[in-house]
Parts: sequence; structure tokens; C-alpha cells
Amino acid sequence: MVILEIKHLKKYYGNFKGIENVSLKLDKGDIYGFIGPNGAGKSTTIRTIMGLINKTSGDIYFNGEKLDSNDPLIKEKIGYLPSEVNLYDDMTVSELFDYHESFYNKDISKRRKELVRLLKINESKKIEDLSLGNLKKVGIVLSLMHSPELLILDEPTSGLDPIMQKTLHNILIQEKEKGTTILYSSHVLSEVSNVCDKIGFIKDGVIIKEDLIENIKKDNYTYLTISSKDVSRIKKDLKLEVKDEKDNEIKFINNIGVNELIKKLANYNIDKLLIEDISLEDLFVNYYK
Amino acid sequence: MIKREFKTNFKSFIIWLSILIIIFLIVYLIYPYIITDDTMKSLDEMMKVFPPELLKAFNMDLASINSAYGWLKSEGFMFILIITGIYSSMLGSSVVLKEENDKTIEYLESLPIKRSNILTNKIIVSIIYIILMVVIFGIFNYVSLLISGDFNHREYILLSVTPLFVALPFFSINLFISTFLHKTRKTIGISLGLVFLSYVLSVLSELSTKVEFLKYFSIYTLADTRNVITNTSINSVMVIISLIITLIFILASYIRYNKKELI
Repeated sequence: MVILEIKHLKKYYGNFKGIENVSLKLDKGDIYGFIGPNGAGKSTTIRTIMGLINKTSGDIYFNGEKLDSNDPLIKEKIGYLPSEVNLYDDMTVSELFDYHESFYNKDISKRRKELVRLLKINESKKIEDLSLGNLKKVGIVLSLMHSPELLILDEPTSGLDPIMQKTLHNILIQEKEKGTTILYSSHVLSEVSNVCDKIGFIKDGVIIKEDLIENIKKDNYTYLTISSKDVSRIKKDLKLEVKDEKDNEIKFINNIGVNELIKKLANYNIDKLLIEDISLEDLFVNYYK
Repeated sequence: MIKREFKTNFKSFIIWLSILIIIFLIVYLIYPYIITDDTMKSLDEMMKVFPPELLKAFNMDLASINSAYGWLKSEGFMFILIITGIYSSMLGSSVVLKEENDKTIEYLESLPIKRSNILTNKIIVSIIYIILMVVIFGIFNYVSLLISGDFNHREYILLSVTPLFVALPFFSINLFISTFLHKTRKTIGISLGLVFLSYVLSVLSELSTKVEFLKYFSIYTLADTRNVITNTSINSVMVIISLIITLIFILASYIRYNKKELI
């Protein structure tokens, strides 16, 4: 069952491009990694879904119907964590949670208590006294407290320490098991690879690649390290991207597949050959070349 | 949400109300000492020097400042109109925009509430505070006048209501302007500028018949204090115009705000 579908979403601020063409589909229970460098259009896409900014063209569907982000009944089903959490400084965390609860037509206090315990939040603290990480944790509770069907997280781990990142990922996996659909935006591919089922890469406002995480990991990309007196000739002939180079040893990013590579290397005098899996971060960088 | 709005705007309400009360309290306390027979004589001489048009601009042709009530009817009410004008203008320009300025709008918009309901809550609270400002200050003046001497009770009650007919349009105009902006710092100049421009136009329009038309560009024309002092009645046309302006700009604010890009 498709929970969120975005078709050819475009957003321009006057002549300035926000996003050019974003299309994606999230099935029930998906954790979708929305990956891209800063300024690629992740937050613009998310803010358009949330109705904070108006789309130029394209369509957004939630549960099969055109999304009216101003409809309170729809909003009750969506949880949102912005990349930068800004809350009411004069309130305590407890007052803010009470205020948050007052907007929902159901009792959400039980989930609040669970999340506060899991994320180790001190409810008596004032919002203005919270560190960036603790503010983020409060934002996470606010986005999850009402058990949304669709959870939209924009850079959720920024400011969180590794232990809290792990806790958050465990919470997300539990949410997935309950059937929550999650759109998880990040600029760190390795961060989302452990929790996401599907990844969409966005570049300059366009989704450039979308696939299941296991397929992305299986891509032809490998590291190739060669020790040879013919290094300069190999470098010239193979025309691969050089990752590292020292003396007679060179490390390439190989994207032509191993069989093809072996065939090509047969013509050279090779002392040492090492083929390794590429890191997700290098893969990520490679997509954005 | 209403409770939260009351709390958020309470501090500025108390500050502005205190400013008015403190200034007027000082006037009431020192008035018996500065207005003696001798000073009154010199004041009368001084008034003769001013052109009648200027005296008219401050209602001084209708009321003598030989008593606290006389002062209140002339200069005092001008002061009340300016302060309530500034308060309501600043409230109008910040009550909604503050959420964007403080970036809390992203959280507020994630809550299950319509944009129009957000606006309604904020408008209701603002109007209540504006009314409270006029009523509380009106009661304060009433009690002070009772203590300081005799005065026309009906005339005073009608006069004390007139700031509302200025404050509400100022509030709604500034609210509408704020729907085009994203930062509150830009609005302070606009709010104050609008009040002072309106006030200057109102004073200028009284100075000469040649520039009388300027009064049609001033919100202060709606506070027809001269009519209250002369006829002991409120000019219903001005009240209706004031309410129409308020309604138009509030309606326009709803239309603008529902379409506004909030980030």
C-alpha cells in the first residue's frame, strides 16, 4: 500500500531553483533514505510536503489522496522533525509536551512517557537551557508522540551523540515494525544504510538514483589497488578515477566491473592487485560528481 | 492555544499599560501643584499666542487645561491615542510574525490545526488585550478623575472608548502588512511610521482648510474626540468605518496568510 507518493514535484523561488523534479514512492512500513548533499533540495521537498512552502508544480499523494497539508485530520497522521529544531524558549519541556498533547483528540501521554524514558529527557528543563542534542531529542519525541502513520525526519541525527543515534535507529526500526512509514533525510549515506530499505539520491533538485539499499551496495563500484612499474601507463589507459597514489602504487575507484577489469589488466606487469568493496561514503561522493 | 497566546503577549501588555498608567499618575499627582491661579494666568496668556488652528488640532479650543479633566480631554487623549495606536500596531505586526521570526512556525505548522485557526486564536487574544488596555486604562482614569474633581461622566466614558476605533484598524493593517514579511525587525519601523504619519496627517489637516483633505489618510480621524466633547456622543459613521477597515484587513490577512510561504 502506497502511503506517500510524490510526482514531478517542482519548486522555484522566483527564478531560483529549489527543486526541479522530485518523484518518489513510499510503501507502508518503508524507511526511505532521502540522501543528498547540502543544498540538493531535501529540505525544500520536505517543507513542500509539510505545506510550509507552496509547490510550483507536481503532485503529492498521502494514502492515495491529494495531500492537503492544512487539514488537521491529515496532520494528525504525520510526524515531522525539522533539521533545525526551534521551540518555545519560555516553556519547560514538560509544558511543551502538555501543550503538544492538547492538539490531539486522543491520549498520547503513554507514548510520550515511553519516548522520554528511551531518550533520557529531563522534562523539568526549560527549552532555552537545552543543548542542541537535547533539543533534537525533544523534537524527536514531538514528532513521534502521536504515533503517526508517516514520519518525516530531516537530518534527525545532527547534534546527537553516537549512543543516541543508535537509540533513535532502534526506535525507528520498532516504528517500522508497527507499520509506520518513514522518510529519512540525511547527507550521510552510511548513517541511513543500517535502517533504510530504499534510498533515493537527490542532486540539484532532481532524484538521480533510487533503489533498494541491497542493490546499491551490490553496484559495480569497487576499490582497485595496483602495484606495478607500469602505473603511469595503467592510469593513462584505464582512465579510472584516482583515489590515492604513492610511488608505484595507485588506488582507483573502479566502476567497470571486475571481469572487464581483469581482462584489461592482463596486458600489464602487475606486482600486486587488491580489489575491495567501496565505502558507502565514496559511493555517495561518486554519485555527486 | 489561546491560553498560550495570552501568556506570550501578557508581558508586552503589562509594559504598555504600565507606561500609560505611570505617566498619567504622575500628571494627576503633580497637576494640583502646577495649576495655580498664577500659572493659569500665564498659561492663558501663552495660549493667546498660538493660532486657533493649532489649538484646535489638540482640542485646546474646546477644553481648558485648568483641570486634570481639561488636560485629559486635550493633550491627554492625544497621548492615549498615540500609545494605544503604537501598542496595537506592534501587536498586529508581531502576533503572527513572531512564530516565523523565532522559527517556531515549523513546529506550529506540524500540529493538527488549520492555518486559519492559528490566525483566529491570535486575533482573538490580540483584540481582547487591546480592549483590556482601553478598559483598564479607562477605569484608572475614571477613578483618578473622581478623586481629583468634578467631570462630565457620560462625556468621559464616551471619550475613553474612542481609542478602540483607532487601535483596531491599526492592529488589522499591521497584521495584514506582516503577512508579507518574515522578520519582525522590519515591522517595528513600519508600525511606528504608520502611527506617527497618521498622527502628523491628522494634526496638519486641522491647521488649514487647504490641507483638510489629509484627514482622509489618517486613522486618527476615526477617533472623533471633538464630536464627543462637543455633542457628548460618538460619531457612528466613524465607528462603522473603523470596524469596516478592521474587518477588511483581517479578512485580507486570512487570505494572505493561508497562501503564505512560511519559511
